Amino acid sequence: MDTIVKENIDPKDLKSFEVLYIEQQRRGYVSEKTQFDYAWCLVRSRYISDMHKGIELLKDLLRSAKDDLSKRDYLYYIAIGFVRIKEYESALEYTEAIQKIEPENKQAKELQSYIKQKLKSDGLIGMAIVGGAALAVGGIIGATVAAMRKKKSNQ
Amino acid sequence: MSGGKVDIKVVLLGKAYAGKTSLVERYIHNRFLGETVPYQNTIGAAFGAKTVTVNNQNVVIGIWDTAGSERYEAMSRIYYRGAKAAIVCYDLTDKSSFDRARFWIGELQKYEQGCQIYLCGTKFDIIEDNPDLRTVSERDAHALALDVRGENYETSSKTGKDIDKIFTKIAVDYLASKTAHKNEVDADIVELRKHPKKHLCQGCS
Repeated sequence: MDTIVKENIDPKDLKSFEVLYIEQQRRGYVSEKTQFDYAWCLVRSRYISDMHKGIELLKDLLRSAKDDLSKRDYLYYIAIGFVRIKEYESALEYTEAIQKIEPENKQAKELQSYIKQKLKSDGLIGMAIVGGAALAVGGIIGATVAAMRKKKSNQ
Repeated sequence: MSGGKVDIKVVLLGKAYAGKTSLVERYIHNRFLGETVPYQNTIGAAFGAKTVTVNNQNVVIGIWDTAGSERYEAMSRIYYRGAKAAIVCYDLTDKSSFDRARFWIGELQKYEQGCQIYLCGTKFDIIEDNPDLRTVSERDAHALALDVRGENYETSSKTGKDIDKIFTKIAVDYLASKTAHKNEVDADIVELRKHPKKHLCQGCS
C-alpha cells in the first residue's frame, strides 16, 4: 500500500494532462475523463497545493457522478489524496463510503487498514511529543523549585 | 513509478475481467477468490511484490496490476513505462479480449521496446471443462507471441496452472539479459585497453 500511496507523478505527465484540461476549460467544456486524468495526476504531485486541488476536482466529479462504479473510483482517489496530505480522519470517511458501495472491496480495505496504522503510529508520536513536553515543563518547574530552595537556604 | 526496492518491474495489461488481479492473487498469495467474492474491477492500479530464487539468486519482482477498464487507459500508459516485462492477458473464452491484447502489444512495441512481452490466455480451467467455450485458438496466440519474440502461456488462476512458470521465466530472462549486458560492458573495457598509448599525449610525441 505504501507504494501506491507514495508514488509521485512525473511532472511531465502532470503537465501534459494539465494542458488538455486547460484547453478544454478554455473551450468551455471539460470532459469527465480529462478532469479525472488531471485530478489523479494532481493528487500524485509532489506539491501539497496540487494535492488539494486534485481533491477538489475529484469532489466535483463525485457530485455529478452517474454510476456507482465512477463514484467508487472518485472516492478512492479522494481518500488517497487525503492520505498524502496526512488528513487521515477525512481519508477514512472516504474509504468507508467506498465500502457502502462495494462492501468487499479489497483495495478499500487495504487502504483503510493502512490509514488506521498511520493514525496509530502518529498517535504514538503525538503522545511522545506531549509526554516530552510534560517532562520538559516538569524539568523547568523542578529546576525553579530547586533554585528557589537554594536561594532560601542561602538566605 | 517503479515502487520500492524492486529488481524487475512487471506490468499486467489487458481487458477488464480478463483475470489480471486473480493471476496476481494466485501468484503472491496462492489463493483464488473468484468463487467466494464477487467480481471487483480494479481501481487504477494495484501493486504487489514477491521474491523468487533463480540460480541461487534472489530477484524481487514488483507487479503493477493495472485496471482494465478504458477509463484508466491513460494511467496504464504511465504504469508500463520502464517495465522490464509485461504480462498481456486475454480471456480464452472472450475473443474481444484478444483484440485488446493486440492493442496493448502494439502500444508496448511502439513506446516500450525494452519491455519483454509474455502473452497469457487466462481461465484455462473453463475450456478444460468445456472445450467449446474456447474462442482464441492456441495457434493464433502462439503466432502473435512469435511476432513480438515473446511466449504464449495458457493459465488458470483457479487451479494454479502455469502461473509460477511465467514469473520464473521472467526472472530467468531478466538475469540472462543482465549477464549479457555485463558482458557487453566488459567487452568495451577490453577494447579501450587494447591501444592505450594512442590516446595518450599525442601532442607531445
